[in-house]
Amino acid sequence: MGEDVSSDPSQKRVRDRGTVRLNSGSEMTGFLIALIVLTIVLATVLLVRPSITNAAAGKALAFVALCVLPAVCLRGGLTVHMQQSEQTKFCTSCHSMANYGKSLYIDDPSYLPAQHFQNHRVPADMACFSCHADYTIFGSFKDKLRGLHRIYVQYLGTPSETIELPGGYKNQQCLHCHLGARNFEANPIHMAIMDSLKSNEMSCISSGCHDMVHNHGDLDRLKMWSPGQ
Amino acid sequence: MKIGMFRMDQVLRIASALIVLGLVIELISLAWIHPLSFTLFAFIGVLLIGLGILIYLASLIFVTSPRGEHRA
Repeated sequence: MGEDVSSDPSQKRVRDRGTVRLNSGSEMTGFLIALIVLTIVLATVLLVRPSITNAAAGKALAFVALCVLPAVCLRGGLTVHMQQSEQTKFCTSCHSMANYGKSLYIDDPSYLPAQHFQNHRVPADMACFSCHADYTIFGSFKDKLRGLHRIYVQYLGTPSETIELPGGYKNQQCLHCHLGARNFEANPIHMAIMDSLKSNEMSCISSGCHDMVHNHGDLDRLKMWSPGQ
Repeated sequence: MKIGMFRMDQVLRIASALIVLGLVIELISLAWIHPLSFTLFAFIGVLLIGLGILIYLASLIFVTSPRGEHRA
């Protein structure tokens, strides 16, 4: 299904970027867990025997165990959580996102997210983030704030029937990877409307060109792809 | 300063307990990839660990040490 992209260097770069980030992320998680356990042990020693701080060495230990290490653990925890929140399974773990996750397995190359996910045009473990991240300086921070609001609505409010992206889907999400890519710029239609695409005047996904997106309402009647099949 | 009424070992125990509890919550949140685990870490873990660090740092300034009591 779909076209073979395994030899496309730009797609390989995208895949490798995701793999490297995930590998370094799991190494960092392992290191952080070891550091947290060490801090817990040291803090427990101080909890049980605070009198050891009467000696100079005990005071130094208390400073490391109750100030330096917890601060490092906090910073590390924030980084690891930010990395985890970029994973596909994180996004699709919410009930309201489950169908969007299923739509990545639609066995039809005309469905844009499915085609990108199944052919590894985006790292499969970071599929949602690759196309929906706000690629600006404070983008991740804004995403997290919106995410917190969504958690509030999910558990303490009333989730709406339809989920809409704030501000709509911006072409920048596509152009972030495709702009400058040979097969994208070799297409005369893309080049003819490039200014309109860059200014968001014409949308990639709703101008009749690539309009088959998640369409999760059609899931029941569509054939699904299963990896390894 | 009210914190001066506490002894150093009491304050260290409170700070240690808060930090241990916060770190245990951080460990749990790291093992569970879900938006709620991020919320658990951001609101409860960070609060407990941050409070523990602040109490410890405040103790360095305000709390009477046992040695100081002996001198007095």
